[in-house]
Amino acid sequence: MHEWSLLIFTLCMQAAIGGTVMLLIFYKKLSKLDPEQQFHVMKLPLVVIAGLSLIGLAASFTHLGSPENALNTIRHLGSSWMSREILVTGMFIAVACGAAGLAFIQKKVNVWLLAAGAVIGLFDIYCMGAIYYNTLVSGWNSINTYTSFYGTAFVLGPILIVSLLVPFLKAKNEELAQAFVKNAFYIALGGIAIQLIGVAIFGITAPEVNQIAGVNVMDALEGYQTTVAIRWMIEIIGIFFIGYLSIAMNKKIPIYFAYGALAVLIFAEGMSRYVFYVMGA
Amino acid sequence: MAQLGFYINNDYCTGCKACVVACKDKNDNEVGVNFRRVYEHSEGDYVERDHAVIQNIQTFFTSISCNHCENPKCVEGCPTGAMYKREEDGVVLVDHDKCVGCKYCVWNCPYGAPQYNEVLGKMTKCDFCIDLISAGENPACVGSCPMRAIEYGPIEELRAKYGNVSDIKGLPNSSITKPNLVITAHRNAK
Repeated sequence: MHEWSLLIFTLCMQAAIGGTVMLLIFYKKLSKLDPEQQFHVMKLPLVVIAGLSLIGLAASFTHLGSPENALNTIRHLGSSWMSREILVTGMFIAVACGAAGLAFIQKKVNVWLLAAGAVIGLFDIYCMGAIYYNTLVSGWNSINTYTSFYGTAFVLGPILIVSLLVPFLKAKNEELAQAFVKNAFYIALGGIAIQLIGVAIFGITAPEVNQIAGVNVMDALEGYQTTVAIRWMIEIIGIFFIGYLSIAMNKKIPIYFAYGALAVLIFAEGMSRYVFYVMGA
Repeated sequence: MAQLGFYINNDYCTGCKACVVACKDKNDNEVGVNFRRVYEHSEGDYVERDHAVIQNIQTFFTSISCNHCENPKCVEGCPTGAMYKREEDGVVLVDHDKCVGCKYCVWNCPYGAPQYNEVLGKMTKCDFCIDLISAGENPACVGSCPMRAIEYGPIEELRAKYGNVSDIKGLPNSSITKPNLVITAHRNAK
């Protein structure tokens, strides 16, 4: 596997997009706070989302052999999913950075920019999936590609935002903090459910080999059974962390449980993505 | 000028790889970059019968480069438009002034034609030796084959002469990109 740039790019972008969607979902409840408090609570997540998208952008550049020609990549929108994805990713990054920048200037969060970021981001994940789905690589041309990508966004996004929001929110409004942790837990469970649907379909689809030197995906992944098993175990542990936090927060469970969950889930999703890129190696 | 294509006499190919070496030499390619490749396809096994070990091994070789397809997926997927199909003869080329080196075409080609050049940071591929052809010479692979197993020309002429087979064992289904390729299949490749 030598696609570390793409692994970092997809994980960062999907986490940032999932985070934007979560911030939008939480926005209504956060608007109960006064605007200054709301800005104070939301500024770190906004900066982290913008930062993640910029890290993703930088990682994607390291994948290119001739990054000086990067602007050419949006010249073939008519038929190339990669062209479309690059344009939409660029739009998401602009909106994410714009939302963070504007929030700092105006000292309040612009919900319309958040909404635009969420919509553009969700479409961006579809474009990312379509890039791989439309190749001839055995295993990528499966619905699992889309469910894996959306699942990552809905697992990492909620946990990321909760880890960033709750430490600031807990002192001001503990009830709201607990509600957020619960919501994040349920949405992350939904993210895992989405991934499981893809895995189930993947398992019953006869893989095709459409490349002359291609390898059947089942053969390509034969040596990665332990990796896949460990990934799921770690993922369950991460979800257990956040689930425990959601029911036991008022028992003074330290917030680093959320950080632990985030770290564990990033690692699990990273392993999942590693196995994904093994198919195309 | 009509669409150009290759004819491969799979039955004659001995797997000597003279075509690979000639192509590599002509294009001055780095180690690992091969515009034309020869694939060995083997099946069968040794079986023990009474006191004898009998084999039913079947092997044949297929020489493949870019097939300058009718529906090139590399062109369709290329985000920059660097990969394009030349109008006059249908040869698929890479414009290095546009290429960003994203390697997406590698995942889109059924025949392994796009070959990434790490030194250039660009995608490279068979250009049908258009410089040699315009000078009235054969492409390097065609000229070098000691078995005369590779020919080139307008694809309609090749099809009229040798038939329409472009699907043999070991090759991806031709319906994916409609390659401009005609093959006389080895008896074990049918």
